[in-house]
Amino acid sequence: MSVSPRIPDTDIQNDSMEDRLYTVKYDDPGDSHLDVKVPSICADSCETADCVSICPADVWRRDDGEVPTIAYENCLECSSCRFACTYDNVVWEYPTTGSGVSYKHG
Amino acid sequence: MTDDTTESTIVDGAQLLEERAGDAALESPNYDGEFDAVIVGAGLAGSAAALTLAKRGLEPLLIERGTYPGAKNVFGGVLYTPTIRELTDLDGAPLERYIGEKRFSMLSHHDETAVSLKPGDWHREPHNDSFTVFRGDFDEWFAEQAVEAGATLITETTVTGLIREKGAIAGVETDRPDGEIRAPYVILAEGGNSLVSEGAGLKETESRENIAVAAKEVLEFPENDEAIEDRFRLVGDAGVSYHYFGEGAVGEAFGGGFIYTNDDTVSVGVAYSLEDAATKRQSPEETLNLFKSHPAVAPLLKDARTVEYSAKTIPEGGAETMPDLVHDGALLVGDTAGLVLNNGVHLEGTNMAVESGYHAAAAIADTIEGDGHLSQYADALEQSFVVQNLERYAWLQERVEEDRELLFERLPTAIADASTEYFEMDRKPKETHAKAAKARVLETVGGLKGATKLALRYRKLVR
Ligand SMILES: Cc1cc2nc3c(=O)[nH]c(=O)nc-3n(C[C@H](O)[C@H](O)[C@H](O)COP(=O)(O)OP(=O)(O)OC[C@H]3O[C@@H](n4cnc5c(N)ncnc54)[C@H](O)[C@@H]3O)c2cc1C
Ligand code: SF4
Ligand code: SF4
Repeated sequence: MSVSPRIPDTDIQNDSMEDRLYTVKYDDPGDSHLDVKVPSICADSCETADCVSICPADVWRRDDGEVPTIAYENCLECSSCRFACTYDNVVWEYPTTGSGVSYKHG
Repeated sequence: MTDDTTESTIVDGAQLLEERAGDAALESPNYDGEFDAVIVGAGLAGSAAALTLAKRGLEPLLIERGTYPGAKNVFGGVLYTPTIRELTDLDGAPLERYIGEKRFSMLSHHDETAVSLKPGDWHREPHNDSFTVFRGDFDEWFAEQAVEAGATLITETTVTGLIREKGAIAGVETDRPDGEIRAPYVILAEGGNSLVSEGAGLKETESRENIAVAAKEVLEFPENDEAIEDRFRLVGDAGVSYHYFGEGAVGEAFGGGFIYTNDDTVSVGVAYSLEDAATKRQSPEETLNLFKSHPAVAPLLKDARTVEYSAKTIPEGGAETMPDLVHDGALLVGDTAGLVLNNGVHLEGTNMAVESGYHAAAAIADTIEGDGHLSQYADALEQSFVVQNLERYAWLQERVEEDRELLFERLPTAIADASTEYFEMDRKPKETHAKAAKARVLETVGGLKGATKLALRYRKLVR
């Protein structure tokens, strides 16, 4: 054994969001199942954009003073954004007839 | 169909399931009045209800939005089977591993202090009724058991609303053409994102203080076949559930991290308060990354590859926010009724989902047979472990929330420091270190007085 043992190697390779989402089976319904109810609330009233900070799939993105863009085809259907928006401004429906995510290891 | 559950009948069950799904959904959508009850959602609660009704000789219709039951479902997870085992034979069920060790671990920024439990009994059947599973496999199998018993299952069909007639709930609307289906009773087993129940005014939307957000990864070890057995010290079908708390697990948020072993993969994830995710701007992705990189966690996951990433919310309002369970013509079960115990030490929802599905179905069967009433469901649930456990721990969540900085940040660090001190190898007498270690912990909890107060605040935990 060497005189001073090495500190354990804790380098963990975390995948990028893109790689993570690539592991999820997804069937595109063609239309977004997500939307905002009143765009001006997002653009003018909402300062925190909680939909953006809590989404585990980076679906929601917002530039200051604008309405968020919604990359619905990355949605994991976790429902967090629906509960998180304190303005109750998220339109959240299920993707129709079985489309959207299909998990194998949920 | 005979009821011997050999491999081949299960395959038949799967075919039958598809045929029936095709028939019902596409060819002859008019099923008004054909069914004794419609069940929304083929998760654990829904399939338990369908199986119970079918075994009582009734005809339930089970409607699932996913391409198969379980396709939309995510949990940790450990499936708790005391009730399922009463409803059906678990031989042949797609179980991954039984839980042979539970480990609770406090993580500060750099340190770990852990307690491990390995009762010998857990290695013997029925293995404390605790098994890791994948919901994609298990929920499909469980729904097949209901179909074999006589239930009808339609997949790829989303219930979009409830039909009301003269004030009573009289069926469901679906996203299929001519998709209205009337039936005398509806069981809402749609999980915690209860769009149908909320839309029909049977329940309010939970506030985000009572919701946890969870992100999970299933990992495999492509370069090392023995990684799981070696790193978690497993023999045979034994597995582990590791639970992590404190700053090193979920940062400043209230919640925890977990690792569960499956057959040849591990499930790793974090689940924490959605309110904290929002106000502390702590994204699920970053939180998961930090947990996986903790010096006590990373070596367990070295050289792993992601098989699947997933996310989901957990309703954790417990007894306080439980909605009315019984409505005219409809019953709420499982996560739709908020039946999850999540208090740090326990994360249990699967057993409560199945138990509630069973009692709801029993109340409907008794009512149809003329010697019962729907309201007996609420009574039965109140007398069962479900409501009893939720009420028993109702105080805990609140109290932990108040003390969280102490419990999850200052105390873990103090305990880790104290252990380092206590076991320090130098030329001072042990007594010096013991005193210093004790002082370090006492200082954090506010002296002897503080320690006594803390013990009093949590004494019900061990009662
Ligand atoms: C990350 C995480 C970890 C967990 N870990 C554990 C654990 O280790 N042990 C444990 O016991 N519990 C755990 N739980 C809790 C447990 O998963 C739930 O309590 C349990 O799954 C509830 O079962 P359910 O049948 O009520 O709902 P679900 O399992 O959510 O099932 C609902 C079903 O209804 C379907 N559905 C929903 N809406 C519609 C509609 N409109 N039309 C048709 N179908 C619909 C869904 O697709 C789904 O199949 C965990 C939960 C999460 C999120
Ligand atoms: S949190 Fe709600 S109001 Fe704010 S940007 Fe997001 S959707 Fe709009
Ligand atoms: S449901 Fe979940 S994954 Fe989908 S957009 Fe909302 S927060 Fe993101």
